[in-house]
Amino acid sequence: MPAYHSTFATDAQNDRMVGNVVLLPLKTNFRGPAYQANSDYDIIDECLDLFRANSFFKNFEIRSPADRILIYGILFVNECLSQLRATTSYNEGLKLLTNVALDDFAVPGTPGFPMNNVYSVPVQSHAEMDLLKSYIQQFRQELAMRLLERLYVYSKDRPSKFWLAFTRRRFMNKSL
Amino acid sequence: MSYLNNPAIVMDNGTGLTKLGFAGNDSPSWVFPTAIATAQRSTTKSSGSGASTSSAQSASNPYFGNSTSATSFNSLASATLMSNNLAGKRGTEDLDFYIGNEALTAAQGPSYSLSYPIRHGQVENWDHMERFWENSIFKYLRTEPEDHFFLLTEPPLNPPENREQVAEIFFEGFNCAGLYIAVQAVLALAASWTSSKVVDRSLTGTVIDSGDGVTHVIPVAEGYVVGSAIKNIPIAGRDITLFIQSLLRERGEEDTTLRTAERIKQEYCYVCSDIVKEFNKFDRDPQKFAQFIVENSEKTKRKVIDVGYERFLAPEIFFNPEIASSDFLIPLPTVVDQTIQACPIDVRKGLYNNIVLSGGSTMFKDFGRRLQRDLKSIVNNRIALSESLSGTRSTGVDVQVISHRRQRNAVWFGGSLLAQTAEFKSYCHTKQDYDEIGPEIVRNFSLFNMV
Repeated sequence: MPAYHSTFATDAQNDRMVGNVVLLPLKTNFRGPAYQANSDYDIIDECLDLFRANSFFKNFEIRSPADRILIYGILFVNECLSQLRATTSYNEGLKLLTNVALDDFAVPGTPGFPMNNVYSVPVQSHAEMDLLKSYIQQFRQELAMRLLERLYVYSKDRPSKFWLAFTRRRFMNKSL
Repeated sequence: MSYLNNPAIVMDNGTGLTKLGFAGNDSPSWVFPTAIATAQRSTTKSSGSGASTSSAQSASNPYFGNSTSATSFNSLASATLMSNNLAGKRGTEDLDFYIGNEALTAAQGPSYSLSYPIRHGQVENWDHMERFWENSIFKYLRTEPEDHFFLLTEPPLNPPENREQVAEIFFEGFNCAGLYIAVQAVLALAASWTSSKVVDRSLTGTVIDSGDGVTHVIPVAEGYVVGSAIKNIPIAGRDITLFIQSLLRERGEEDTTLRTAERIKQEYCYVCSDIVKEFNKFDRDPQKFAQFIVENSEKTKRKVIDVGYERFLAPEIFFNPEIASSDFLIPLPTVVDQTIQACPIDVRKGLYNNIVLSGGSTMFKDFGRRLQRDLKSIVNNRIALSESLSGTRSTGVDVQVISHRRQRNAVWFGGSLLAQTAEFKSYCHTKQDYDEIGPEIVRNFSLFNMV
């Protein structure tokens, strides 16, 4: 059984796309261009669910545009975990992860992003690149907050060590 | 002619563990590592070789407990060797050796060196092996070889010269009454007859034998191994242990020794149906996280290890080798399918129908169920494809994986079953046959055809 794929179907006519990346709806209160999700389960939940399983895989075949968001999400979760220590409390973690989410980041397609071979986006179009950037900004913020909920579910003093153990795993041998 | 009434002796010498016992029993009388510790020439004279430890040997001697690990031994703290006073005398260096768990203990001292005479299932060092058998018979089983028939096991594709060598040792060295050498896979098939799922006692089936070092997939058709189709997988018990160890280290647990990892493997691991679902189950139900308490020799500090996702991730490497290794990527169900597809077409249905597990690394809970499910989906996909291409209906292939209670020592148990039958002695080659014809007599053994 190979690595797990996103279950979100995309259809190129109705969904908003930037290049081959799909801007899936999110359940979030952060400001940004994403549409509100209708269902209870959105791509962010899926990233968090699949993160632990997919972290073990080095090969991943992209089957749908949603998989590209999934890859980004999994790599970003890994990035977040690498900021935390075994003794980081919830409040410190909140600060750290907010900073990570708001930090300057490389948009897919621009130099500095590690996997430009699988993301093809219209780099020339300013409007589209701005849309993608602000979507990913919103995605990062919401993902970081929901990751915190999972990390501190048992105790507010320290994150779950079972999650932190995945810090050193590299999905597809890449990191953001 | 007392051997006609004595039970036959069944010896299964594996790469890791040796199983010894008498035919008709449910489980082997002794299970210990196939290891021998021999005296190093330079030090035998000076050491006197611990002859002072001639403590009375009681029935509760720790070395005679059955072991489950080829490399470690539980109660090393209470180490006193069984006495072997011969070593003190001159000219008896040949007799100064230990086998099994005693060998592991002896090798920790300076004067003995440890060796494993069997590599990859085949005997590498005949001199060590002969001494190993000698001790097995006289010190452990305590029998007279001339009063017993012997059933020995060999790996598939064992060269006939090795059989002759075995015959020479057993007939000329030990003067045994009679000998039968059986292929391990065939015995494993016979052991599955105890399962209620088995309806006819045929010797056709696929054996998945997973021990410590390597996993074999061996097709057997009517008692004959289909040699050209055998496949090996470089994933077995030791790889699972190492994977658990790496997970423990990533989490920064207090104790990450191989011994701890091995105990966790044996006590906590199981096969799940889907790893993402299993991760979520752990999130919902924290009861699934277990704790393992490390036994400590000094007893002052108690170490507690948390056991987490490795419970289901470790056996998963059979079904998803990618998560642990980067060079071998084919899942076990696919390998089994390829093996069967490489066999003659008229036996394939029988091979799919009777997939038998054997060896310690197949003991994980639900291992058989998962294998059956995955293999079934591979087979059904192929049938659906061929139906859609040809437009004809297939009669279908029944995939059945058989788990049974004797899986751990399946080969030995199968030997015990066959050797207790009345016909067994007629299949053996006797000492008289050997004296008349010579070692080449053992190149062929007639098959058990039991109904």
